[in-house]
Amino acid sequence: MVKSPLLSAIRSHTRKRWRSWINRRIPVDDRRDFDRRCIFILPTAAGWVFGLLLVVMLLTGINYQNSLIYLLTFLLGALFVAAMHQTHNNLSGLQLALLQPGEGFAGDAIPFRFVLQGPHEATAIELGAEAGGPIILSVVGSERIEGTLQIPSRERGFLRPDRVRVETRFPFGLLMAWSWLRPATPALVYPRPVLPPRAPEGSVEAGDSEAVAVSQGQDQVELRPWREGDLSARVDWKRYSRNGEMTVADWEGEQGSPQWLDFEGFPGVDHELRLSYLTALVLDRDRVGEPWGLRLPGVMIEPDRGAHHRRQCLRSLATWQRTPPGGDGGR
Amino acid sequence: MNVAVSLLPTRALLWLLCGFVLLLVPQWDRLPVWLIVACLALAGWRWLAQLGRVRLPGRWLRLTIMGGLIAVYVATVHGRFSVDTAASFFVLAVGLKWLETANRRDFFVLFFILVYLATVNFLFRQGIGWSLVTLAGVVVILVALQLLHTPPDSRQSAFRGLRRLGTMLLKTLPVVIALFIFFPRMAPLWSVPLVSEQARTGLSDSMTPGDISSLAQSSERSFRVSFGGDIPEHRDRYWRGLILDRFDGHTWSQWQEEPYRRLGRVDRDAGIETLAANQYDVLMEASGQRWVYALDNSRAVSGNISEVPGELFRLERPADTSVRYRMALEPETGEVGELSPGERRRYLQLPSSGNQRSRQLARELATGTASDLAFANAVLNRFREQPYYYTLRPPAMPDDPVDTLLFDDQRGFCAHYASAMTFLLRAADIPARVVAGYQGGSAGADDAYLIVRQYDAHAWVEAWLDGQGWVRLDPTAAIAPQRIESGLRDAVAEEGSFLEDNWASPQRYGDLALVQWVSLQMDRINYNWQRWVVGYQGQSQMDLMSRLPGGIGLRELGYITAGLIGVALLVAAMVAAFRHGGGKRPDPATVMVLRWERILRQRGVAVPAGATPLQLASLTEQQAPSAGRIARAFAGDLNNHYYGTGARLRRGSRHHRTTGLRLMRRRLAHVRRELKRRSTTHGPARQHTADPARRPF
Repeated sequence: MVKSPLLSAIRSHTRKRWRSWINRRIPVDDRRDFDRRCIFILPTAAGWVFGLLLVVMLLTGINYQNSLIYLLTFLLGALFVAAMHQTHNNLSGLQLALLQPGEGFAGDAIPFRFVLQGPHEATAIELGAEAGGPIILSVVGSERIEGTLQIPSRERGFLRPDRVRVETRFPFGLLMAWSWLRPATPALVYPRPVLPPRAPEGSVEAGDSEAVAVSQGQDQVELRPWREGDLSARVDWKRYSRNGEMTVADWEGEQGSPQWLDFEGFPGVDHELRLSYLTALVLDRDRVGEPWGLRLPGVMIEPDRGAHHRRQCLRSLATWQRTPPGGDGGR
Repeated sequence: MNVAVSLLPTRALLWLLCGFVLLLVPQWDRLPVWLIVACLALAGWRWLAQLGRVRLPGRWLRLTIMGGLIAVYVATVHGRFSVDTAASFFVLAVGLKWLETANRRDFFVLFFILVYLATVNFLFRQGIGWSLVTLAGVVVILVALQLLHTPPDSRQSAFRGLRRLGTMLLKTLPVVIALFIFFPRMAPLWSVPLVSEQARTGLSDSMTPGDISSLAQSSERSFRVSFGGDIPEHRDRYWRGLILDRFDGHTWSQWQEEPYRRLGRVDRDAGIETLAANQYDVLMEASGQRWVYALDNSRAVSGNISEVPGELFRLERPADTSVRYRMALEPETGEVGELSPGERRRYLQLPSSGNQRSRQLARELATGTASDLAFANAVLNRFREQPYYYTLRPPAMPDDPVDTLLFDDQRGFCAHYASAMTFLLRAADIPARVVAGYQGGSAGADDAYLIVRQYDAHAWVEAWLDGQGWVRLDPTAAIAPQRIESGLRDAVAEEGSFLEDNWASPQRYGDLALVQWVSLQMDRINYNWQRWVVGYQGQSQMDLMSRLPGGIGLRELGYITAGLIGVALLVAAMVAAFRHGGGKRPDPATVMVLRWERILRQRGVAVPAGATPLQLASLTEQQAPSAGRIARAFAGDLNNHYYGTGARLRRGSRHHRTTGLRLMRRRLAHVRRELKRRSTTHGPARQHTADPARRPF
């Protein structure tokens, strides 16, 4: 078959029109109540075959003048229409909301947490995005049910599935009713951590007066007696076994001389790769437990430590020079 | 292979298997035994594979099984093609499909095939019992389909699927009935014979008195009759079907063989107009023959039968399904025609030799009687006075059967005596013929109609008497008057041979009132089902429509059907529009939470998804500080409702719960008033951003 350019143009035009019509109908929002204005319903492939079967049955009935076959055909035909209701009702009235977009590293699947609730029972509601999913949720009673959709990420930045398709084929699988949720809140994708092949040229080259030489590990440790409230992990157990003194290692870093992780520490390296290096270093510092600061062009995060600091740095790395996706055709 | 098996939920597969077995049941006596066994074995194999006991066959084994079974099929079919053989192949295909049912697609394929199997069942079985079995099979496979689309861990059980299906069927029933009534019954598009040759119980077109008739041992129904007026007396109910007028010394057959016509469906039906007082309506079971049965002096009313010479009636083709036709009784005209020389020769035909003693007897009787009628009476008197016996266990009569019966054995049943009497009449130069048909019949429930069974089959004699035309003479009436007055049961009561080979027949147990009552009631249900549902065809539809105002033809019916479908869809859509969501009534507290969220959103507050009542309260307080106290109280109520001691009240005191809800509703109304007041006095509220934790930038 020769593809006519006119035909494909018409097709792409129609698709675009359809898309924009859908987008007008379903604005970007983190929550959506499914009602008849945004639920679409069509027979599945099996549904079309079923329709064909009904036609064949009707022909059989006509040909053999068999009343019972007529009756069976009408019964199944009516059931098909009733199934349309069932399938539609299964989705109608439900509310789907994006509870919490997750965070993760590029290349990993990012979890998106959704909550589904409704005034009635709903069986086998399928959630899926273009990439990722599907997961199947059922509302029992009028409970809320949560489900996590894993959406694979490719690059750092904001990740927002354009559309999350909510579909149900219950009860017979002959029809499918579907709608979309177009989430507003994006997930954050950190750069993929890549260990730099050599130590960064550090802050020495940066020429910053505040810069301190690369930390020398245990040398900077100051020991003090154990106090109530100190973590047992910090107790220098070797020393304890030697002389029975409970000593706690207190890093110098708490007072100062942190390590700066600097974007400019990798001259000549591709920007994205530099971010990956920095990510790996952040994770490394965090694992070791040393304080660090992060410097990106236009962003400076004061040295600190801990989960919150780590997340702040990772977020900065993820969103550096990225703008959050705006609501196209949104509210 | 085994990995694929687990793709299907076990419950769904089990139900589908059950549906298959149910749908096989109505065909059990039509299908060859090997096919049923093979199907059950294949289905059982699939089930064991699902349980993990055995493996499904690999590709080669599967192909071997398939090839083997198809070879057996081809060998047993002998190249005949009809719906019957096609249906058998269809069943075989379903059986084979079980071995390759691994995923959802296969499941759907099987579902579709099984639905069509149900359709095929209706071609062969239309009684109400079998129809219900088939319908049950369809319901079971529909449940199976629901189970396929239900997550295995959910609470959706087969019972709920059944209930859902029942509700759906109940709701759509009016539309189904309306469609059934109004859908135009069109003429068939093409014709394929339903069955190839199949032995059926019933009268055949030849009669060999020496052979033992098996008909008398069958209680199968031949036909049922409803009369517009009173049911005639038993002794007057001679149902004429065939004239046997050629005798070769052993066998009586038809002078003119029936022209061969292909077996098929009789398309026209008898209509459902009210029966006139002289009319009767016969519902004949599928006989595979063209002849139908009628009382003396009948006239065809329905268009599906036509009269042939000899005051007999024929269908347009041998019927492979049940046929309903309608006749009217006419008063005797008194006109007597003439017998043409050709006809005379035909009704006097006898083999040139044999049965010499009988010929001698005829000559002797003829010389002693003045008229043909007197001769006939002399013969009947001989039967009446001499020790002739009516028996269902006659001895075999291989040579000169008429002589043997008349002079040696003197034991026989209707066919023997009719044959002998016709022989004597013809030997005395009186035109005569054997008539085969049924005599009598028993009343159905409440005497509403008449059931004529195979054991009512009868043969009698008609003789041409000058000035009177054809006169019915029944030698059986002379020998065993009970046979004619009340039926076979009484005639052979002494002998005890009534249905002696037929243990299962309820008619055999005529003395058990309960058995009789149940059997008659069931027959009545079936009769009405056959007449009004199965038999609702073109003419019946037209008759029904003619009662409605306006000339409704096929075309109008088409419009009505289209309109019906349109209106039904419209009503369905409107119901869906009004009853948003449907299903169970939502929990009142949930409704209140949703309302609260809506009120807040109307005021321009961004409410995060899944906000707790306390979060909602703080949002409300930000919006309208004056509502803070009452909002917090309301949130407390909600939490109490869900998690507190109030939750226990759900099952307990209803009174407590409703008062609690009433209080909550009042508080919500209060919150709403406060919020409204704020927004009217302070203008549109400031837009709050969502939970800051979720929007870090």
